[in-house]
Amino acid sequence: MSQLVEPAPAATGPASDVLLAEPADAPTLFRKGRRWWATIAGYVATVFALVTFNFGIPRLMPGDPIEALTAFGSPTYVLDDTTRASLNEYYDLDAPLVRQYGDYLSGLLRGDLGVSIYNNRPVSTDLGGRVGWSLLLIGTGTVISVLIGIPLGVQSGWRRGKRVDRGLLAFFLAYQNLPIFVLGSAAFVVLTVKLGLFPYGGGSHPFNDYTGLAKLLDVGRHLALPATMLGLDAATYQYLVMRSSVVGELGSDYLLGGRAKGLRERRLKYAYAGRNALLPVVSVIGLQFSLAVTSVVFIEQIFAYPGLGSYMLQSVAVRDYPAMQGAFLILTLTVVTVNLVVDLLYRRLDPRTVA
Amino acid sequence: MRAPLSAVRGSPVLVVGLAMLATLVAVAVLAPWIAPYGPKEITGDSFESPSAAHLLGTNEAGADLFSRLIWGSRTTLVVAVAASALVLSAGIAVGLTAGLRGGLADTALMRLVDVLLGLPVLPLLIFVGALAGPSLSTSILMIGAFLWPQTARVVRSQTLTLRQRGFVASARGFGGGATYVIRRHLVPALGPVIAANLVFVAGLAVGIEAGLSFLGLGDPSAVSWGAELQRALATGQSQLGSLWLWWLLPFGLALTFAIFGLSLVGVALEPRFNPRQGRR
Repeated sequence: MSQLVEPAPAATGPASDVLLAEPADAPTLFRKGRRWWATIAGYVATVFALVTFNFGIPRLMPGDPIEALTAFGSPTYVLDDTTRASLNEYYDLDAPLVRQYGDYLSGLLRGDLGVSIYNNRPVSTDLGGRVGWSLLLIGTGTVISVLIGIPLGVQSGWRRGKRVDRGLLAFFLAYQNLPIFVLGSAAFVVLTVKLGLFPYGGGSHPFNDYTGLAKLLDVGRHLALPATMLGLDAATYQYLVMRSSVVGELGSDYLLGGRAKGLRERRLKYAYAGRNALLPVVSVIGLQFSLAVTSVVFIEQIFAYPGLGSYMLQSVAVRDYPAMQGAFLILTLTVVTVNLVVDLLYRRLDPRTVA
Repeated sequence: MRAPLSAVRGSPVLVVGLAMLATLVAVAVLAPWIAPYGPKEITGDSFESPSAAHLLGTNEAGADLFSRLIWGSRTTLVVAVAASALVLSAGIAVGLTAGLRGGLADTALMRLVDVLLGLPVLPLLIFVGALAGPSLSTSILMIGAFLWPQTARVVRSQTLTLRQRGFVASARGFGGGATYVIRRHLVPALGPVIAANLVFVAGLAVGIEAGLSFLGLGDPSAVSWGAELQRALATGQSQLGSLWLWWLLPFGLALTFAIFGLSLVGVALEPRFNPRQGRR
């Protein structure tokens, strides 16, 4: 993996064709020359910002953090002044902000995300049951996106400017512009409601007592459509990055050498160019995860999937703020942590990122 | 921005994109004349099928869906214009400051940009939107507040290269003050970059507003395509008719049309103004 290949003087193509332009915003997540400790410091700052945000925003809003609960017009309207005062005391809202903040932080460190107003259970317990479903959905979606995006990206880049490439590129660029909730809704209505190909929603059949293989099949049937929608969404990005990365490898000496040795086209394409072009795709994974979290909120909502995103939205609908804040914190912390891991991993894979 | 006509002639993508946007603007401006009814006027029974009187049938309250489709373009347009104005002004201000001042200001601002860019925007929007209460102006403000970092980064890097260029250096050498140089040289030179960025930001803003409405976090009183999709889906589940054909589909297509138009213009502007991409 150590050939320092000069970026190939790109193969000729019709110069004025917009569709052949390389994707505009190739990810610039990793700024070269940043030390690992600077990365970790950035991560710590981000986490701190998120936690403070989570603590501060409800308190910055007009009224107090529980105003939405107790105010006129909310389903849990509190008329009585003494009840109001005891609620304030329960949530410790009369204490100085610094102490509230300290308590909040120490609570977080102990894994205490507060108690749901809606069902009176600890938020962390509820979230614990949801995380797995979201991860299953995102994980399956990622596998699908890799299986679609990378081979097609290699194919397209290898035959840059040819019919296959133009067709695939036009398709993915168009697909990228379709809002996921439009596509998701359409897929739901047509494939699930009209054609009855998939179960209506949820992560598994309710009240089932499946075991073993039957259980696996049941979960799989519920997972198939949402994960595919998520996968197609993410595949676009991987396709674009893989394609431009392969294009960058075209015309390299090692390909010429391989060809001179009489290697088969297939081997050159996948084992040589494809493999060398894979590195930038790794760098997108972090970015992709961040995008996947956005998409997964929509997908979970449309397919009533029991993950973190739908939990957050349900909490918003019933004004269960502790639950909403907990879900928000877990979602965002997961994203920044994945970004950190990918960043550190990328350093190991490609020493050139460190100047 | 020079010679817009010759620019248009060269690129069919730009022509198509601009035509789509022009259609959108025309529909939004002429809504009162095109739409047969007001968006909230109750003109029929609930869930009427399409007919001559109601081209796309009616919704659960008996309002004409075709009229709502047309009026909805106004919401989309308002969001596109207002949110991208916010994003651009904040992004340009921060980007210029960071690029011109350099030093500590630059480091601090860019660290902030890094932190913000690393965050997933949708959970943030849901979080703040839920606390602030749903309204169109909240959505616009939030989009403005969370999308500016990208613009700031683009403007900064462009400013950094411009600062090195001869004409800026000589203007400063002849005693041109900071405001003068910004107004006379930097802003015009940044124009193309900003134009391309504007279109992308507008597309994002339209998508985000529709998405928030789709999740039930938009303005409940606004006539929004995203909200209409949500309602269609919620009803479609229980109604099981062909309702989706004239409710879900047209609104989804309208939204896609708007985002597509913006995206095509953006794609067409990009290589023209990004010399690095032009050189292939």
